[in-house]
Amino acid sequence: MALEAINGVSRYHSKLDDLGEEMVIPEIGNLKNQYQLCTPDLPKSECQIGEFLIDETGRKIKLNYAHGTTTLGFKFNGGVVMAVDSRATSGQYIGSGNVKKIIEINPYLLGTMAGGAADCTYWERVLAKQCRIYELRNRERISVAAASKLLANMVYQYKGYGLSMGVMIAGWDKKGPGLYYVDNNGNRMPGNVFSVGSGSIYAYGVLDSGYRSDMSDTEAQELGRRAIYHATHRDAYSGGVVRVYHIKEDGWTKITEEDSKDLHYKYAEEKTKRSQ
Amino acid sequence: MSILNYNGGCVVAMKGKNCVAIACDLRFGVQSQTITTDFERVFELGPQLYIGLPGLATDTQTVYQRLQFRIKMYEMREGRRMKPQTLMAMAQNLLYERRFGPYFVEPVIAGLHPSTKEPYICALDLIGCPCEPADFVVSGTCSESLYGMCETTWREDMEPEDLFECISQSLVNAFDRDALSGWGAVVHIIEHDKVTTRYLKCRQD
Amino acid sequence: MVQKSDDDKMLALSKNLVMAVSGEAGDTTQFAEYIAKNIQLYKMRNGYELPPAAAVHFTRHTLATHLRSREPYFVNLLMGGVDPDTNKTELFYMDYLAASIPVKYYAFGYGGMFTLSVMDKEYTPDMNEKEAYELLKKCVAEIKRRFIINLPKFRVRIISKEGIKDMPHIVGEGEAA
Repeated sequence: MALEAINGVSRYHSKLDDLGEEMVIPEIGNLKNQYQLCTPDLPKSECQIGEFLIDETGRKIKLNYAHGTTTLGFKFNGGVVMAVDSRATSGQYIGSGNVKKIIEINPYLLGTMAGGAADCTYWERVLAKQCRIYELRNRERISVAAASKLLANMVYQYKGYGLSMGVMIAGWDKKGPGLYYVDNNGNRMPGNVFSVGSGSIYAYGVLDSGYRSDMSDTEAQELGRRAIYHATHRDAYSGGVVRVYHIKEDGWTKITEEDSKDLHYKYAEEKTKRSQ
Repeated sequence: MSILNYNGGCVVAMKGKNCVAIACDLRFGVQSQTITTDFERVFELGPQLYIGLPGLATDTQTVYQRLQFRIKMYEMREGRRMKPQTLMAMAQNLLYERRFGPYFVEPVIAGLHPSTKEPYICALDLIGCPCEPADFVVSGTCSESLYGMCETTWREDMEPEDLFECISQSLVNAFDRDALSGWGAVVHIIEHDKVTTRYLKCRQD
Repeated sequence: MVQKSDDDKMLALSKNLVMAVSGEAGDTTQFAEYIAKNIQLYKMRNGYELPPAAAVHFTRHTLATHLRSREPYFVNLLMGGVDPDTNKTELFYMDYLAASIPVKYYAFGYGGMFTLSVMDKEYTPDMNEKEAYELLKKCVAEIKRRFIINLPKFRVRIISKEGIKDMPHIVGEGEAA
């Protein structure tokens, strides 16, 4: 570790590193230090995108970006299941129906995206880098608790600047399965069942009524899939492909990627069969 | 969010060779929540006369009921079927009556002239400004996407089968890019001797 | 603040037609009673009851007319009943804007949103009374688990062609996982 210091590698970054007393933004900015984003010379509350854009009549120009989502994750005896939809909307316009909302941080860690797509991808990429550096430094994998704490600390530095993210970090470490919820307010909490996004209320309905800690692997995967499907059906801002991941002792595996259209007609057929 | 987009939904109508088509989606929602997927917003007002009323669902129902009343009164008094052009004027009248507190619907009319069988399509805005083009009209939450689709798929003098394909593809592909409409579609192809109604299998998200 | 733990938010409109109302306090009771009394008046005048679809039409018309007046009613309601002539069961959604839509099942409000997916998953049109009651219990359990406001008791009524039957109250059980 001392070698690092001699070579000028700093271990802990914050957004204020490399800034002189005059608070000048250096030329290379976040190329060198990813924690350092340009912040306009304005009070915090006015730094939110869309808040300082004003049209000729003085009205605030609204900037819509990816918000609608359904993501979920839950722990059970067989590990952690995570499932997400794949719709990206800006306003009511569907920008894409095939977004990857589960970010593969490393073979043992997954992160989900809800809120601002750019915020989530950026900070989870920085997190991926930090997790890798941790591994190289300490010769062991980072725990889920530590990884989620790193992310929470990163976004907390920009609290009040208008970041928008509600993510789940899940993985497997020495303590077994781990699942944390982290958001832009600085909240970070461990839990058994989480769902985040505009469709989360619908996902919770299915999740809570079907959840047991002693589910089999296939039951758990189906529960996650079902919960996302029902959310895509009811919530206009969720849809597309339903992706299901399962994390076990040997890391995560992608279970399925199914179009919610196919799922709908499959479930509808099962229902008619059941009632006959 | 505009009040016109509160419940979601869209309508499109197209002219073909001696036929017209009108189609709509089936979603009824309240902002992001989808409530039912069997809400038809295109109504039959005569044997070859249809109106689509996308917009605020309560006004879809109110305008439809009030129009139906006025049409029945007209047809009883006149003893003949109403022309699509007359329906346009009547709808215009009904909407302009509420110039200063409008019904939040933007109607689309499609039909054939009762005697000459001449195809007719038209769109009105919420206070009754008419638009009577020669090709197609669109209205509702995904009208921008619908314009794009229709501009590229529409051809002159399409036969009923081609018209069905054209209007269905335009509608489905347009509302698949819109969060507030979709969840099924219904298409009416109006010919001089028959009307064919088909329900399309669509995405349900 | 809980003012009353057994307030009845449902109103019988006829022998087999019930209206459940939510919305702004005051508006709900005033509007519901206005509708109920007028429907009863109709029966007295004509000697027969309004079938559900007609009663819904009347309710929608009243609500829609008031919507564009100076004092609109802020009420959301569900009307469920059985048409005595056709034996058809009917349920209508109506929001404060007076959009009236036939539905299979629905729940108003933020708490209700948690139950929609439960019903989407479990509901079948041929459920019997017991199955339906069990499904309602699941819904109430979900509201208890996730809704921030504590709603202690849920009243259940079954409307059939024989009339209106009160079922035992459902009290929520369970907590968030």
